[in-house]
Amino acid sequence: MEFVVRYLLLILLALPASALETLKPGDKVDDFTMLSVNGFGQRLTEVRGQPLMLIWLDRCDACSETLARYQLLAESLEIDGLLGWFVWVPEGDDEPPKMRLPVLRYDTKWRQSWLFEPRPAVMLISPDGVLDHLIIGDLEESYGEVEAAMMRWISEVRDQ
Amino acid sequence: MKLFFSVLFLFTCTFANAEDAAIRQDVESVKQSVLELNTDLYQLEKDLLSPATTRAAFHLSLSHGEYFEPLSIELSVDGESQIQHIYTERQVKALRMGAVQPLGNVNLSPGKHTVRAVVRGVDHLGQGRELIAEDIVEKTSKPLLTELVIQDFVERQSARVQLKYW
Repeated sequence: MEFVVRYLLLILLALPASALETLKPGDKVDDFTMLSVNGFGQRLTEVRGQPLMLIWLDRCDACSETLARYQLLAESLEIDGLLGWFVWVPEGDDEPPKMRLPVLRYDTKWRQSWLFEPRPAVMLISPDGVLDHLIIGDLEESYGEVEAAMMRWISEVRDQ
Repeated sequence: MKLFFSVLFLFTCTFANAEDAAIRQDVESVKQSVLELNTDLYQLEKDLLSPATTRAAFHLSLSHGEYFEPLSIELSVDGESQIQHIYTERQVKALRMGAVQPLGNVNLSPGKHTVRAVVRGVDHLGQGRELIAEDIVEKTSKPLLTELVIQDFVERQSARVQLKYW
């Protein structure tokens, strides 16, 4: 028994700190900068002052159709200052989705990049950089939940 | 008998005091050695990292920028990646307005070093382009101040990047 406890403690100690940390609603989102496949790079601190919907994609090979509803949702709320970014993590010969909104490309080579797990996930980040909502799960299935949360959230942001 | 024990006690105390004094002296000596070692290490660190002898500063500017817009830059010295930067639209606008971007400082030992900068971006037709500047720089004991200048090359409707020294 003692051996098992010791072994588990060793495993816990061996785990990198990042693996134990999970971002949760209410946490400040650290700054990051990522290349975009359809324009200039994007940096989080540059958009402070505006609400941001950050959509983390799972395996995506030219998955534009899946994302179309999210793009329309973000564009329909542009008048409220909402920004929408997709984060694409390429695998093999995957093609990036062709979108009007920025599609950020995660690449381990760039030290300023950030990779969130688990994916897919949708983050609603407040104008002062705090994670207000985190919705994890298949993007098609969770669209209704995201839309409902978005409508409540954006009106709160508008009232602030 | 009492006298014997008194003398023995006094002798033991004196001997113990003498031993304590020797230990204290040893401790003081060790402390002094540690302080000296610390001073030497500090001096060595200063010699190794002194900005005057090892500092190499890299900057970037964009002249006109009609034929090229930077999206990212990677700078390596002697084959080792040292500086990376991803450009946002706002940063490129600032560069177009004449801003000089401090890319970063690198510690270089005196002597010759190969500096390679790869600037990725798009040309005036929206096509992906890569500009490369490679140069051998000689680092002396003075600080090295350099600027990567992205210039339009009007004759070829293109752009190039050059390493300039201040």
